[in-house]
Amino acid sequence: MARKAFLIDTTRCTACRGCQVACKQWNHLPAEGTVNRGSYENPPQLTTHTYNQVRFIEAEKDGDLRWLFLNKRCMHCGDAGCIKVCPSAGALYRTEDGLVAFNQEKCIGCNYCVNGCPFDVPRFTGEKKVSKCHACLDRVSSGLVPACVKTCPTGTLQFGDRAKLIAAAKAKGKKIYGENDLKGLGVLYVLDDTPGTYELPENPAIPASIFLWKDVIKPFGILGFWGAIGAAVLHYVTIGPKQLENGDDHDTPEKGV
Amino acid sequence: MSKYVERFNAGERVLHWTVALAFFILVLTGLGLYARSFFGYFDFFGGPRQGILFHKVAGILFAVCSLLLACSHLREMFTFDQDDRRWLRNCGGYLSRDKQEIPQGKFNCGQKLFGIFSLAATVCMAVTGIVIWDPTAFGRGLTQFSLMIHGLFFTLFIMGVIVHVYLATVGNPGTLDGMLYGKVRKSWAKMHAIKWYRKVVKD
Repeated sequence: MARKAFLIDTTRCTACRGCQVACKQWNHLPAEGTVNRGSYENPPQLTTHTYNQVRFIEAEKDGDLRWLFLNKRCMHCGDAGCIKVCPSAGALYRTEDGLVAFNQEKCIGCNYCVNGCPFDVPRFTGEKKVSKCHACLDRVSSGLVPACVKTCPTGTLQFGDRAKLIAAAKAKGKKIYGENDLKGLGVLYVLDDTPGTYELPENPAIPASIFLWKDVIKPFGILGFWGAIGAAVLHYVTIGPKQLENGDDHDTPEKGV
Repeated sequence: MSKYVERFNAGERVLHWTVALAFFILVLTGLGLYARSFFGYFDFFGGPRQGILFHKVAGILFAVCSLLLACSHLREMFTFDQDDRRWLRNCGGYLSRDKQEIPQGKFNCGQKLFGIFSLAATVCMAVTGIVIWDPTAFGRGLTQFSLMIHGLFFTLFIMGVIVHVYLATVGNPGTLDGMLYGKVRKSWAKMHAIKWYRKVVKD
């Protein structure tokens, strides 16, 4: 099936946060106690009960203050660090539509995905189960759009065939963030400033340590395991063990030197 | 006259086998976290969550006992002489069928090097293990780095132990006696640890 994706055009966002509310409503996520931090941004980051969140960014540029809004959520990476590190097959998985969903029953609570994610997205519930945006898996599999997209009044959030969304945005001359990074992100942004201003990595990638761990050390380890066993067996049949000479169990240390 | 000579006392043997048991549990439970294909090993421990708990408990046991074992042999482990250098150049005689034993102390050069490796690997595993004990407690960067180092020393440790087990059992008949019963044949001592044997006989 063709890969589906979100296209988030931040230039259209008015920060109404209807997406945050619609997500909580559809996914039965409770509200959270809040504190006034001098910003409308609330809560300050993704939580176990907040799968998507509008970031309020105040950026100064040439003496002007810019107020930028960014809907933050799981990026549904084509090469997903969370799936890469997850030891329990099926706890984090790719849906037929190419999105990254999770199954809490299979989650073993190891928290590896928290560290494998290039965007610091997955959160863990009190029961030590992974939680994050799953692109309203239940809705999408029934041919609907995710709740956040459905409710978005400005057309900031769009959802659909990934290739078509990219083509349409390009036809309007918009620059897309995440088209090819990590084998293509499942959340594409049209940004109104540099990625750095939005606190997004310029070139998102699997964290270097995680790459080395899973793509270098792991295969090396399996090779090393069988290599060590193979070397021992080979040594045994070619050069052979150091056999003890019989009958030299006397107290004469000079012998056998 | 006995044909055996005392090599390891009961305390050393118990400590060694505790380390070995903890290592075995750590490998079985660790493999489930290492690669998806070994996930089924968690079933031996009643599921992944209990498996992780076993891993943590065995980890403490291993770290403590392995460090005790190393500390009780520190001086022997870190003392090398001219014979050790010759032994190393000769690869311990393991690459030739000719008998050409170089006089060695209680532990040969390779055993001492394995002891130092074990000590270093235990420290690395313990430190990174503490960091990833709760993978959200320290920063992401440090946790990611620790996961990598933990995986690296896991593979190195397994390779080291495979070699250790081979050389201490079928590779050198008679060696295992020392760790099982505490005594080795005198012929074994003369062949493998003549300098140590001379000292023991003199005492």
